[in-house]
Parts: sequence; C-alpha cells; structure tokens
Amino acid sequence: MSEYKLTKEGEEYLKNGLPEKNLVKLLNSLPKKSASIGEIVNKVKNFSIAMKWCLDEKWIEKKGDNLILIKAPEEKKIEKLLKKIDEGEDVNEKNLKIMMERNLVTKISETYKKTHEAISKSGNVIDELTHDIIRTGLWKGKKFNSVDVEKSKKIKLGKIAPGKRQPYNQFLWDVRKKLAELGFKEMVGPTIETEFWNFDSLYQPQHHPARTWTQTYSLKYPNFGKLPDKKIVDGVKASHENGWKYKWDPRTAMKLMPRAHGTCLSARTLAGKPKIPGKYFAIVRCYRPDVIDYKHGVEFNQTEGIIVGEDLTFKNLLGILKTFAIEVAGAKKVKFFSDYYPFTEPSAQLSALHPELGWIEFAGSGIFREELTRPLGVSQPVLAWGLGIDRLAMFKLKIDDIRELFSRNLEWLRR
Amino acid sequence: MPTIGASYKDLCKVIGKKIPVEELKDLILYSKGEIDEIDGDLLKIDIKDSNRPDLWSTEGIAREIKGRLEQIGCPKYEIKKSDVVVSVDKKNKGVRPYTVCAVVKNLKIDLDVLSQIIQLQEKIHTTFGSNRKEIAMGIYDYDRIKPPIRFTTFKPEGIKFAPLDFEEEITLKEILEKHPKGKEFVHLLTGYEEYPIFIDANNKVLSMPPIINSNYSGKITEKTKNAFIECSGFNLKFLVPALNVVVAALTDRGAEIQSVKVIYPKKVMITPDLTPKKTSIDIDYVNKISELNLSGKEICKLLQQANYDTELKGKKIELVYPAYRQDIMHPRDIVEDVIISYGYNKIEPIVSKLKTESGIVEKEMFSNKVSEIMTSLGFQEILSYTLTNKENIFSKMNLKEETVVEIENAVSANWNVFRNWLLPSMMEFYSNNQHVKYPQNIFEVGDVVLIDEKQETKTRDIRKLSAAMADSRAGYEKIAAALDALLNKLNVKYLLKKTRHDSFIEGRVAEIIVKNKPIGIIGEIHPYVLKKWKMEMPIATFEINLEYS
Repeated sequence: MSEYKLTKEGEEYLKNGLPEKNLVKLLNSLPKKSASIGEIVNKVKNFSIAMKWCLDEKWIEKKGDNLILIKAPEEKKIEKLLKKIDEGEDVNEKNLKIMMERNLVTKISETYKKTHEAISKSGNVIDELTHDIIRTGLWKGKKFNSVDVEKSKKIKLGKIAPGKRQPYNQFLWDVRKKLAELGFKEMVGPTIETEFWNFDSLYQPQHHPARTWTQTYSLKYPNFGKLPDKKIVDGVKASHENGWKYKWDPRTAMKLMPRAHGTCLSARTLAGKPKIPGKYFAIVRCYRPDVIDYKHGVEFNQTEGIIVGEDLTFKNLLGILKTFAIEVAGAKKVKFFSDYYPFTEPSAQLSALHPELGWIEFAGSGIFREELTRPLGVSQPVLAWGLGIDRLAMFKLKIDDIRELFSRNLEWLRR
Repeated sequence: MPTIGASYKDLCKVIGKKIPVEELKDLILYSKGEIDEIDGDLLKIDIKDSNRPDLWSTEGIAREIKGRLEQIGCPKYEIKKSDVVVSVDKKNKGVRPYTVCAVVKNLKIDLDVLSQIIQLQEKIHTTFGSNRKEIAMGIYDYDRIKPPIRFTTFKPEGIKFAPLDFEEEITLKEILEKHPKGKEFVHLLTGYEEYPIFIDANNKVLSMPPIINSNYSGKITEKTKNAFIECSGFNLKFLVPALNVVVAALTDRGAEIQSVKVIYPKKVMITPDLTPKKTSIDIDYVNKISELNLSGKEICKLLQQANYDTELKGKKIELVYPAYRQDIMHPRDIVEDVIISYGYNKIEPIVSKLKTESGIVEKEMFSNKVSEIMTSLGFQEILSYTLTNKENIFSKMNLKEETVVEIENAVSANWNVFRNWLLPSMMEFYSNNQHVKYPQNIFEVGDVVLIDEKQETKTRDIRKLSAAMADSRAGYEKIAAALDALLNKLNVKYLLKKTRHDSFIEGRVAEIIVKNKPIGIIGEIHPYVLKKWKMEMPIATFEINLEYS
C-alpha cells in the first residue's frame, strides 16, 4: 500500500475541485471574463487560496479591485494526483512534495497501516467496527460482515447485568421507611455490647434461667467493657437484688458479648433520657449460637422498638401490634395470644392472617416490667414490640431457606 | 419456649371432661399454650412461658383449663409426714450443696403418666435447670431404697455402681468416660476432686447427680407403686419450685405426697412445702394497666379462674395462690393472669395517638444514598455476614494476623471473628461465583467491628463501602473511574496517594485521602491473593470508610 493519504483538504478538493480551478471556471463563465473581488468572493470556496494560486500560475490578472482571466489551464495534474493517492497508488517524489507543501497529502500513521493490514487480511471485510477503522476512514468502500440480527438460538445471547440492590437489604430499607412513616424514630447501638445492656438493664438476673432463655455468644477478646453512670448501675443492682433476691455482680455485667437481641437498643434509649412521648425502632444484626440450618442463619436481623408515654395501656399494645400487622404485613385479620419475655409483663403475641401465607406469627410484645424501666429513669409505661419480618422477606423473595437472605449466588441476585 | 407432647384423651381425662379439639384449641390459650400440631391422639403444644415449669405437662395445662371452667380457686395440696430422712454431708458444700426431696405413695402410672413425668423432668432439666447445671432431678423406685439416705461425695474411683442401662458396676470415673450421659455432662463435674452421690442405708448408690441414676433403683415404670424424688443443685430458689411442680403434677394424678426431713450440717428442712403463698393487688392498678375498667368482683372472678383464692377488701384484693407459682414477683404478673382469664381476643385494640418525632438515622440514610449511586454505576449490591474467620481476613489476603473481636463459643470455625474490613467478604463472594458471567461488578455497604480500647464496649462499629470489578479487563483505571464518579456525586474532594499494601499489586494501589485523612484504599488485587481465593480473573477494588467526616 501507499505510504501516503489525502488530508481533509485534499479530500475536499478531490470531491469539489481545486479552488483555483473553480475560480477560473467562474470567471470563464462570465461575459466579460472578469469581475470585481467583491462580486465573487462568496461564490468560490477558499477564495483567497484560489486567487493566490491563479495569480502565481498567471491565469488571471489583478487590476485594482478587478480580476481578469488571462488563460484557462488545460492540465488537470493535481486532480489526477489526488485521485491516485486516494486510490492508494504511488506517485513520484517531486509531485508528492508539491502536494505535501499544499497540505493536501500526509504520511499515513502506524495505526492506519495496521488497521489497513487487518482489514486486508480478513479479505477486505469488516468484522468488528473499531475506533481505528472509523478514525482512519478505512471502512470506506468495504463490506461489513452480517451479524445474526434475529439472534438464532445457536448464538448465546450476552446478558447485560444492571446494577441492582440486594433484595433483602432493599426489603429492610422499605420496612425502615414504613416505620418512620408510622412515627417511629430509629435507635442506634453497638454490635458488641456489655451484658449489662443485653441482660441486666432488661431485668434478666445473673446466673438464672431467665438469662439463658436464649443461647448467647461470649467473647474470647475483648472481655470486659465499662458500665454506665453510677446512678443507673445502682438502680439496676437494687432492682435485681430486691426482685430476684441475689447478690448482683458488676463484673458479670461488664462482660462483652455480641448483642443477642435488639432490645439492648431500647434499654439504652430509655436510659438516655428520651423524648416522652416517643416512638422508637431499630433494625439491627443480632448474634446467637444456633446450629445453622434452613431456619437459622449465622446472623439475623431483628426489627423492634418501644413506645413510651403517659397512660399507655395493654389495649394500646394490642393497637400498635394490629397497626403493624395491617401496615407492614398486609394482614386482613389478627389474633392475639399470651406470650413470655423475661422483661415484659403482660406480654402478647400477634398472629396475622396474611393474604397468601395464611396465619403467621408476626409480632411479639409486652409492657416493659417496672423493675426494668424505673432504674433506667422512666416512670411512664413502655410498650415494647418486635416484628418477625424475615418470614415476610422470604415470602417476597420466594425463598424457603433463611440463609438465602444473605445470598452468595450472583446469578440469583442479578435476576 | 418449651414444646411438649400430650395425649388428647389423657388431657381430657385429667380435665375431667371430653372437650372437642376445636374448643380445646381456645381453652389451651389459658395455659399460655398453643396447639402446634395434631397427630392422631398426640398433641404438640408450644408453651410460651419459659419461666413457668408448672405449665409444662398435661397436668399443668389441665389445671389452668379446669380453673377457667370450674373456677376452683387455689388448689390445695395435702402433704403427710414420712419418716424418711436425707442427711447432707458438709463435703457437699462447693460441689453440689443443696437437695430437696419428696416421697410419693400410691402411684397409678400408665404410659401417659410415665411419659408426662419423664417429659416434665427433661424440660425442667434443660430449660429451667440450665441443662442440669442448676437443677438435677432424680426419680426412684422407693421400694428399692432403704432409708435413711445420705447425700455425700465420693472420689472418682472411690465407689462403683451400675448406671442406668448398664448391668456392670463401674467407678464414677468410668461412668463419666463410658456412659452416654457421662460424656454429655462431664463438664458439670470437671475440676472437682469428689463427685456428689445419693446413697442409702444398704450402701447402695441411688445416683450421681447431675449425671445419672443407678440402674437398680433410679427409674420408674408402670409397675412402680411408690417413688422417691430429689432435686439437687446450688440454689434453693430453683430447687424448691422444680420439686413442687413435679409433686403437684403427681398429686393431680391421685398420688399421695409425703414429706422428707432433709438434715443439713446447720439446719433442717422439711420438703416439699406446698403451703400456698399470699399477696394482694389494687383494683385501680389492674385497670390502669389493662384499661378494662373491671370491678373488684369481676377481677376476683377472673383470678379465681386463674387458680387464685380471692378476698375483696375495699379497693384491694387479698390473694392466695399455689406454691408452684414462683414467677409472681410484681402486681404486673397478676394483671397478666387477669387479662388471660378475660381473653386476649375479647379486648378491643386501641391505637394511641401520640405526636412524636420520627425518622431514619443519618448513617442509614447515607448508606442508602451510596448504595443507590453504586447501583446506578452498574454495581450489584451484595449482603454478607459480619462474622468470618481469621484465615479469610488475614492469610488469604496476604496479611499478618492482628487482634480482632473473637468469639469464644463459636458454633463453627468458619464464623468466629468479626470482620475488620469488607474486602474479604467480596473475595469470598467472588470465589463462590467463578463461573458466573463476567464482568462481575459488586459492592457491599456494611459494618466492620474494630477494637477500640477507649470505647465503652472496647470496640467500634464502622460503616464501610467496598466495591470491586472482576473481569479480564478489570484494572486500576476502571475502578478509579467508579470511585471518582461516586465521590463526585457525593461532592467529596479527594486525592489518591501511592501506597503499599500486601493484598494489592505494588505500584497499583493508592490511599484515598479526604481532608488530609486516609479514608480508604484502591487498587488491583495481587495475583497471590487471587490464587488463595482460587480466582482466575483480575480484580480491581476499593474500600472506603463511610463515616469519614
């Protein structure tokens, strides 16, 4: 192949003629074979270049403001050269020099050469249209290979994977929004808790079955945290010693553990002088040493909270449970059962009639015991509730193994 | 929550009335129970209350239902005196110091009764007795024992007896090594020089609590006429109600209870003691909590149905209730009994109209915003456990081990430490999805837990974001472009500063600096690390602290 190619200007002249030739042509077409510059300046493209070349070649004469045609050139040398180069033929050095001086021709780049070779190799047919092919213009006059536009089944369709939210996380976010809409404020608390907040502040006695109602993790490291204000600690201690009748041990309460339930956040909230009346919620990761199976994951989320206010009663407790059943679970009917938590009395459980799942246990609740609330500095009734939303999430995501909520399967997540 | 099995026919028999199953489903709510499954005659019942062992048997459930039907008030238990003596050796102090005992005469045991007694004993052991640590209960054939009985201790090889289901007499040490129950509960005796033993006047061993009874006297069958029961442990407040519950159940089956004199080095106890307990409650308090607007008379009736004796005195009600109710600590506990008698489903729920502040915490709002941006950049969100193991976060990342939050009693060695960074979770995810179509662009917004001695809990949670690209063409430039897009969208000005990190390729890793502070790292994962995770695709990734400001 030739080492050279046309510049943009060269291409333009090949297509529309050289400007000097165009000027001659125009003057030749006039009766007087002359015209003032003003009359024709806009009729010929690149007029100044055209005039310069015509004067140099002595094809025209300039008298004042008038241009007069002297002779019309016969030869079409440059046009021929342009055509030759465009077609990839070689031209001699002397001619090339003239063309390059006029910036009509330029040396071909490495990219051009490579691209050209590649296309030649594939029989001058373009398989994949690339940036280089477009830039070098080498597509011109080439054929494109057809693709299977109708996508016959033989060809595996490439799938585009859009970015998506993790469905369980999205579900939890929707519940968050719902609870905020229902007037609840989110609580925060640490993953690693002292036993004080996980147990003692919730009136669960040390070395007692009421504390081992669920299995909990303990830590190899770190082992002990700090207790809160003396006033709160003394209150909790007195409450335990009066109610459960044993010697309360601060060292046990200082032990660290991954929180086993979200209720620690409620205790922390109550101890932190909350706004009363107030409605609070938390959705937090909890940790229990359950044997892992389709009903028990390594970790789980608890959704729970409290309502604190003067004159709240058991009827209000049932009221909020019913609201949750309707608003969060989409229940049509509800039923209440007695329930038990070491930190609530009376306690109540709600079963909801889900339109598709039938009756499901949806909420556990109770009024916090006074032995719990008073040491934390709260004298008003505190309604405590927790929602079993994982069951709903599993239904929504069409899974029957709870471990799938934390799916490790990318194909499933993409779907 | 204990789940118990019961025979439907047997339950009706103890109630004294045939009750249709549908009706029973409602009545069983009075015992805080719910019928979970019906398999022929067998009912599987969930009892909600794990602090009321008196409800964990056919007899206990029947008592509550009978109370509601017949309004019987506080049941009376008559106890006769026996001349059986149990003496407790001072050597037991520090090993297993306490026991309470009873003699039960004229048992009429059929298979239903037998299975209920064994089930109740088992539930008391596991739930109320913290897996035999606090309570070990033994039931013996009284006619095979010669009182007086001694509760003492022996050296591991100091005495032999044949444990349950064994014919051969073996030492205590051998029992712990060979007997299935020995192996299961050996931890409860580890560290003691002598083990607790009940032994009779003929020097025949009754049992080695909390491990196993003797094969000779330590079991009851349908033929057993008379029984001896003991509960041993460390704290009378657990032992007394446990014994009371079993004794009450057997009385309900028509047996006769006789007391035992337990002689301690410094005191004497006559057990069991089923003398009813007394308390009182304000009518106003019941109504304040329940909002049921009940009269004193109405409350009395509801409590009689809940097995209380009542006496109305002005605005107060004097109450007498059975000794097996160890759960009543506060008037609230009585209010719940009133409400249960009233019926939860007869109460109209009322929604309180409180004006309150509401909202989602800033950290979650921001996390959600970041996640939305990452998905818009074509990344798939994933969700991982915060628990992992040291191999994942250190050696598989080509890092030296550091101190992390570590669990002592892990269920699995796969999940025994808290992650201190997110990237290993991403790598683990990738190695599970090697054959899924590439490019794989993923991200996670989640917490890591770091040691921080200054904090109240010696630890600190940090919300982080990690994003990664796995593809044959994944590289620094592409991931840097994603980071740039994210931080621009968040209006965060940042710098990238060359650094070294053993998980990344040298020269292709940088610190992400915001306001002169490093908030994360970005780079291409070192092939050594890729190989550890069995990855054959290049991975470029970044991880940033979302609590950077």
